[in-house]
Amino acid sequence: MALLTILTLAAPLYAGDPLKMYPFKRLQPPSPEMWFGSDNLGRDVFARTIFGARISLMVGLLSAASAAVIGLLIGVVAGYSRSFDNVVMRVMDGLMSIPTILLAIALISLTGPGIGILIVAIAIPETPAVARLVRSVVLGVRGRPYVEAALCGGARLPKVLWRHILPSTIPALMVQAATVCASAILTEAGLSFLGVGVPPEIPSWGNMIASSRLYLAIAPMTIFAPGACLAVTVLAVNLLGDGLRDMFDPRAKRRR
Amino acid sequence: MTISRRDFIRVGMAVGTAVSIPSILRAQTSPADSRTVRMVMYPPTVFDPIVGTDDVSQNHGLAIYDTLFALDSKFMPQPQMVGKWGVSDDKKTYTFELRDGLGWHDGGPVTAADCVASIRRWGQVASGGQLLMERARDISRKDDKTFTISLKEPLGVLIDLLAKVSVPSLFIMREKDATRPAADRVTASIGSGPFKFNEALAKPGASFTYDRNEQYVPRGELSDGLAGGKLVKVDRVTWINIADQQTAIAALQAGEVDFLSTPSADFYSVIESDPNLALQVLDKGGQDMCLRMNFLQKPFDNVKARQAMLHLIDQEAFLRVMAPDPKYAYTVTSIFGNGTPYSNDENTGWFKRGGDPERAKQLFKEAGYAGEKVVILDPTDWRAVNDASQLLAAELRKIGVNAELASSDWGGVLERQANKGPVENGGWSICITSDFDFTQGDPVTAVFLDASGEGFAGWPKNAEYEALRARWADVETLEERKALARKMQGIWWDFIGDIRLGQAVLPIARRKTLTNLIEMPRIAMWNMQKA
Amino acid sequence: MAIYILRRMISTIAVMAMVGIFVFLLLRLAPGDPATIIAGTKGTPEMIAAIREQLGLDQPLPVQFVRWALSVLGGDFGVSMFFGRPVLELISQRLEATISLSILTMAVSVTIGVSFGILAAWRAGGLVDRILTAFATLGFSVPVFVVGFFLIYFFAIRTRWLPVQGYEPIEHGIGPWLVHLILPTVTLGIPYIAFIARVARASLLEVLLEDYMRTALAKGASSYSMLFHHALKNAGVPILTVIGISFAYLIGGVVITETVFNIPGVGRLVVDAINNRDYPIIQGVLILTSGLYVLINLAVDLSYTLVDPRIRY
Repeated sequence: MALLTILTLAAPLYAGDPLKMYPFKRLQPPSPEMWFGSDNLGRDVFARTIFGARISLMVGLLSAASAAVIGLLIGVVAGYSRSFDNVVMRVMDGLMSIPTILLAIALISLTGPGIGILIVAIAIPETPAVARLVRSVVLGVRGRPYVEAALCGGARLPKVLWRHILPSTIPALMVQAATVCASAILTEAGLSFLGVGVPPEIPSWGNMIASSRLYLAIAPMTIFAPGACLAVTVLAVNLLGDGLRDMFDPRAKRRR
Repeated sequence: MTISRRDFIRVGMAVGTAVSIPSILRAQTSPADSRTVRMVMYPPTVFDPIVGTDDVSQNHGLAIYDTLFALDSKFMPQPQMVGKWGVSDDKKTYTFELRDGLGWHDGGPVTAADCVASIRRWGQVASGGQLLMERARDISRKDDKTFTISLKEPLGVLIDLLAKVSVPSLFIMREKDATRPAADRVTASIGSGPFKFNEALAKPGASFTYDRNEQYVPRGELSDGLAGGKLVKVDRVTWINIADQQTAIAALQAGEVDFLSTPSADFYSVIESDPNLALQVLDKGGQDMCLRMNFLQKPFDNVKARQAMLHLIDQEAFLRVMAPDPKYAYTVTSIFGNGTPYSNDENTGWFKRGGDPERAKQLFKEAGYAGEKVVILDPTDWRAVNDASQLLAAELRKIGVNAELASSDWGGVLERQANKGPVENGGWSICITSDFDFTQGDPVTAVFLDASGEGFAGWPKNAEYEALRARWADVETLEERKALARKMQGIWWDFIGDIRLGQAVLPIARRKTLTNLIEMPRIAMWNMQKA
Repeated sequence: MAIYILRRMISTIAVMAMVGIFVFLLLRLAPGDPATIIAGTKGTPEMIAAIREQLGLDQPLPVQFVRWALSVLGGDFGVSMFFGRPVLELISQRLEATISLSILTMAVSVTIGVSFGILAAWRAGGLVDRILTAFATLGFSVPVFVVGFFLIYFFAIRTRWLPVQGYEPIEHGIGPWLVHLILPTVTLGIPYIAFIARVARASLLEVLLEDYMRTALAKGASSYSMLFHHALKNAGVPILTVIGISFAYLIGGVVITETVFNIPGVGRLVVDAINNRDYPIIQGVLILTSGLYVLINLAVDLSYTLVDPRIRY
């Protein structure tokens, strides 16, 4: 994961220009100047793959982060306020009941494709799951003696929330965020496949696979390179999630 | 009992069959039925071919409706539903008599009243129809089979207009359908054409089924283009929508479908190398790709900026992206296309090569361009145009133009295209689109050739050119028209109404068992045979 | 119990109403207009205006909403703006394909996923466990359409064993129906098999560590009987929960799988409808799926009582 991030950030140092087109050099096989060959507009697949990592990771991380933050806020407040809980959790139920991809497509049709709206469109359907999780943790912690003790001892509610309740939600939240991140990267690829993902010029693994899928037989590298990167990255994020789970879950440790 | 060798083989075969169960099941699912043709087509979403101007709606119309006249393979009008017709000596009154045996799918006979109502409805929407209505004094039924069109002054192109395949063609509908307002779509799908629309099997968006019209009486002549006898040689045609090209090609290779209306150019080599498949060009003229600039807004309200574009565009490069197979792609510099009689080289010398970014940069400067945003409409679900738009944006940025792609699906592009405002208010600067090459031979109906300022997206305006275009309908001989065309093009390339990006001929792909397809710019389903 | 079900049904209606309002606003605020699409590339502005009027799109938004909401309450989801047919008819035409695919996928995923989970938990830490865990993680990481194209390439184009695309209604025979669904089911099922296997393994392991399981072991119960009689029963609740939650994700996968294998299902219907801005279809499908989602989760909640007698409503 760390290696991936470094490779990504250092991309401009070693990869060519991902946007430069050579219309007369379409779908070339791998060569010394274009390591992975060229795509249907004569662009360097290697450069696009490397730069694509930025977009895919950015979409994944930002979606996960925004879903986590908003979900956390809603979850904590819902876990504490009965009236707020009723209203907001019904809204969350409603959002959850709309299939992720359809909701995302509908949201994207609001503004046309763009990275910002894509992140929003992926984060919104993922938020309810986070909110639910946080809320359940808060409900569990709320009745614990140390929290009640703190409240009785005259601590103000926001402070209690911040000092005692928030930290207990972090482990579950981190694990959930990793899952959201992995699924966000996959959702971006799926949306690009359906033609509503990242705008076509910008290299992302999803839209590279989507726009090259015609060329599976002619120029397999155009699909294989971003496809493999995508799978490896999602795998890495999933493993990270598993690792986090093991770290935070004492019972899992006992198992080892 | 001893096991003979023959028994042994039989058992072996049985085992073999059992092992290849999937292939048995497949055989059941796709019966090698030579009377049913399965074609991969975009599904029509609008079933009224007078309202729906897209090609799919016109193809649907061609299957189930009939036309008064039809174009033969040389694009000359020939009578189709009309049996006898004549024109008065003053060339102001045309009399048409329907031929025998015409009947609607619901059983009633086709009458002159149906024709009159259909012409009137078509006259509200089609540009050719509007011209006719302007000139007509009266269109009326004389008896059940005869009707007349009387004109205020002679109109030489009248029969051509009635036969046109440019959108929308004049399809004859039942009177009760045709008397509806033009915007009120006809949903009945009852025509008098060679195919009947099978309502029961219609799955909108997925597949549509057309059955042979047993009652259809074809003309006696041999089939020629869209004219002549429409003999249907199969029982049923199914149009299947396959959204994904990869899947569609695979289905064609596996024999699950017989016909693919628009294979992607990158698959031509795959299709050519498959012994069961063939590419065939049905529409010789193909499509002219065209770059439209918004005349009403900066920077393309300035002719210098439009000249810059003409110098910038290297058609060869754009063709490689839009139509990568050079066998099917040609440059085009005449506004009358490559294949029409009026194609010419007037006033093309000064930009002929294109691909001159330095000159373009200079001209943008002279036009007073100061870094305003240039918005290119980019339909992500139209592959060729999507790719061309990306290339265009890259080329423009190279010469310092602040180009921005406005990507959206086709629906979004269509809506934004209608916005005449500046880019800050949701308008646009450039959009790329296409039209049939053969249509460019008819300035009366070709949307690209309208410079009235009120026409197609981009709204080019030039009074001098328009004055010449208005004369087109009344010019009698081919030679005179050719001369007029040269004059029009001369002016066009001075004010630069739009920019041509090249001509792409789009072959269809078929299984070799499907033969005798009609080679016209529309997909007509009669005459074809399946072995 | 009856009161509980009633309460849940009422909240289902509330959720559907909310989805209705949300989707209605979302669509009407989105750019794109069915009238321009109907008129096509060469449609004139007058024609577009006339079509808008005819479709009632020129009315103010609140009027449109009330009109639509009233007809939905009467069980009428309106008429497609393009095809001129009732939305319910269009959906029901497509429903069989989608339901076949979903149920088959769920059945296969649950069977295989749970067996994988049991297998992995049984020999936790062993080679089988590692292989299955690796598969489960990988299966979760590859996009559905990539798997789909590779399967088509090998099983349909290269070997010609299975059809490339399409769907055969079950009334044409169970053989053709099944054959057309094999590849889509595998494609769509892989992530669910992986997901369910992971959850099953984790919850089984959790149960196996409980004290009463140790007691059972100490009393000499065979590992087989422990796994099936004691552990599986207790691990049932989380597994069922996952199946309920998966439904919404499943529909998302269905949309892509239907595109790859050209299955004329509800997923394609709604994606095309979004492209065409055919509002009544989008609204109808989304409201119905959200209702279905809530009902399925209700069914899952109720089935807890069967798996775990301690749960009562």
